[in-house]
Amino acid sequence: MAVVAIDEKAIAQYGQWPWPRTRVAELVSLIADAKPAAMALDILFAEPDRYSPAAIEKVISLPPELAASLRRLDSSDAVLGRALKRVPTALAVAGLDQDDPQFAGAPAGPPFRFVGGAESSLRSYKGFLHNTREVDAGAASHGLVSVDFEGGIARRMQYVARVGVHGVAGLAPELVRLAVGGTLALHPAAGGLLELRFGDYRVPVQADGRAHVYFGRSDPSRFIQASDILSGRVDLAPLEGKLVLVGFTGLGLQDLAVTPLGESVPGVENHAQAAEAIVEERFLKRHDFAPRLEAAVLLAFGLALFWLAPRANALRSVSALAAGVVLIAGAAWLAFRQAGLLFDPVSPALGGMLVFGMMQVGSLAEAQRQRQQLREQAARMAGELDAAKRIQMGLLPDPREVFSDEARVSVAALLVPARTVGGDFYDCFMLDANRLFFVVADVSGKGLPASLFMASAKSVLKSAALTVEGSLGGVLARAQDEIQRENPESLFVTALAGILDLETGELEIANAGHEPVWIHPPGGKPVRFDAAGGPPLCVMDVFPYPTTRHALLPGEWILAISDGATEAMNTAREFFGAERLATSLGWIGEDAGAVAIVERVREDVKRFSGEAEPADDLTLFAIRWRGGARDPRQSNAVGSDAI
Amino acid sequence: MALQARRFANALVVDVSGRLDQDNCDAFRADLMVHVEQSAHDGGSVVLDLSGLEYVSSAGLRCFMLAYRQAKAQHGRILVGALQPMVAEIFEISHFNLVFQVFPTVREALAAASSDAAASYDKAAVA
Repeated sequence: MAVVAIDEKAIAQYGQWPWPRTRVAELVSLIADAKPAAMALDILFAEPDRYSPAAIEKVISLPPELAASLRRLDSSDAVLGRALKRVPTALAVAGLDQDDPQFAGAPAGPPFRFVGGAESSLRSYKGFLHNTREVDAGAASHGLVSVDFEGGIARRMQYVARVGVHGVAGLAPELVRLAVGGTLALHPAAGGLLELRFGDYRVPVQADGRAHVYFGRSDPSRFIQASDILSGRVDLAPLEGKLVLVGFTGLGLQDLAVTPLGESVPGVENHAQAAEAIVEERFLKRHDFAPRLEAAVLLAFGLALFWLAPRANALRSVSALAAGVVLIAGAAWLAFRQAGLLFDPVSPALGGMLVFGMMQVGSLAEAQRQRQQLREQAARMAGELDAAKRIQMGLLPDPREVFSDEARVSVAALLVPARTVGGDFYDCFMLDANRLFFVVADVSGKGLPASLFMASAKSVLKSAALTVEGSLGGVLARAQDEIQRENPESLFVTALAGILDLETGELEIANAGHEPVWIHPPGGKPVRFDAAGGPPLCVMDVFPYPTTRHALLPGEWILAISDGATEAMNTAREFFGAERLATSLGWIGEDAGAVAIVERVREDVKRFSGEAEPADDLTLFAIRWRGGARDPRQSNAVGSDAI
Repeated sequence: MALQARRFANALVVDVSGRLDQDNCDAFRADLMVHVEQSAHDGGSVVLDLSGLEYVSSAGLRCFMLAYRQAKAQHGRILVGALQPMVAEIFEISHFNLVFQVFPTVREALAAASSDAAASYDKAAVA
């Protein structure tokens, strides 16, 4: 196999294309001298040569005798035709989709037989582009030179087609056939393929007459430069018995094609490669069931991924995807390498990836939707909780207002709600001109139920305090009765209630399971006032809550707290505890007002908790008794202070 | 918090350990009620061994309260024993020691339940 290349060098040396046909004839003669088995020209000589002697008078005016004698000379086309006769040569014809009246019928060639309706879906041309009659006279046969470009890549070549009703082989198979002899026949073959037969050759082609060419690497050694032949610089002896293809490789002649191997090769080399593949019987077959198989693989792969993706974690899914792609590609490669079978691994692989991608996008969207839902839910909850918190906080009196004109006492209250609504509350009001009632309470549970329960407990406690005569313990017992009546959630409430007589300083305390009150006598240390008490309200049906009495000295203060203080936790999950509270209270100055007491404790608890999120409400309620109105010590005292 | 129960005569000793709060309250109550029902049926008592209980939140206390109410409704009896100092303080402050009979040890709680139970406990301790 050799390719005689009419390249840039030949053009530079012998002038631009088209050359005079006599020069082509000279080239052909030189090749013919080497006695190749057959030759094919990938060149069309469709127009009469401009350089024919007879044509010269059309270009320049000549003396009549000279013109006449020139006319008697052979045309250069005829010279080329004669040269071509010296070697079995296939000339190129190009299929045309319209009838060309210039070349009616079919190009001359060997007999061509269609067997078993093989021609039914064959590519069919109405007409063809042909060489001039004189050149064509030298042709042994003709071959089609149509390369099917798919996405700019020459994958398939037309190995056989119909021109009119006649069968014509491609230039490459025709070149081989010229060498081996025999007639052409097209038979149906397995897998919806056709077989182009000549001599002993069976060339598989697709139903439309095209064939996938088994491209090899472009081999520069098979090229012989036309200029070297014309100048006699090359020994043509090796061409004997070979197949020779003559064509252009000159860049200026624009006959380059990209093969599937990614090289830009001259168009003529496609024919050379095709002819070589036929001679070596390297064929590529793409059966008609290949697309169905590819679709089935795509479907199976897609379904497998579809099944797997929701069941496996991301890493496994991706691994399965990669394994599937590798498997498909490997199988296609094996089929190609071992059997010359062509399957397209790209569509199933891409399809699988697409399915996978879409599922990922889908699950991502689902996850996002769920997150959105959770956010909305959280927002709604937060809204409800905010409402609950506002209800809770709105119910709490401001001691500044309640005791604004009370000089005998300084009262401060603070409730810091935890992020989730806790059930702390406090209340304080005057029972009469002298008796101040207060209560600090904590409803078990959190959230909206606790908040509503707290509201009802608070009002029940207030009405019990205002109506029950007698002991403070009796107030709690009555409150328990009342609250218990409507307590579907079986919540309970701890409560520390107190009544301070602002005139005498007498303090009554009743405790229902609540944190004890702290008392700080003037000049002394703060102590926990462990009065007798009972369980939280609503734990037992009936309980006689005891009342404890203590006489305050003027300047003595008390602090009621909720467990949000003692059970405040730091990041190390330690409790603030009674000891730290005692220490904190010990630092409070003798003359500190109620506000200062509350602030001090709050600050210390806050510092202790640090970054830790408060788990429970923190309630602090402080009263400093300044002394009765008759007591001279409080005559200059200002009004009550609060936060 | 799976509750382990040991039988001593007509008393059941139920171990309560870890922390008792909002999260495990329902499971605790459901488990405990099985034992309370059973012992109420036998005319016996349930002794809660709190030696492994580290902390009780206010939700945990409510849990104890509900157990107390349910036991009362079924004429059952719950005693508690062997409280850790932290839990003992919580019981004292909340006065839950007035709701349940609280004993320093399981042995003493069993003795309060019945002499048979205490005797059975002593026998088991010797064995």
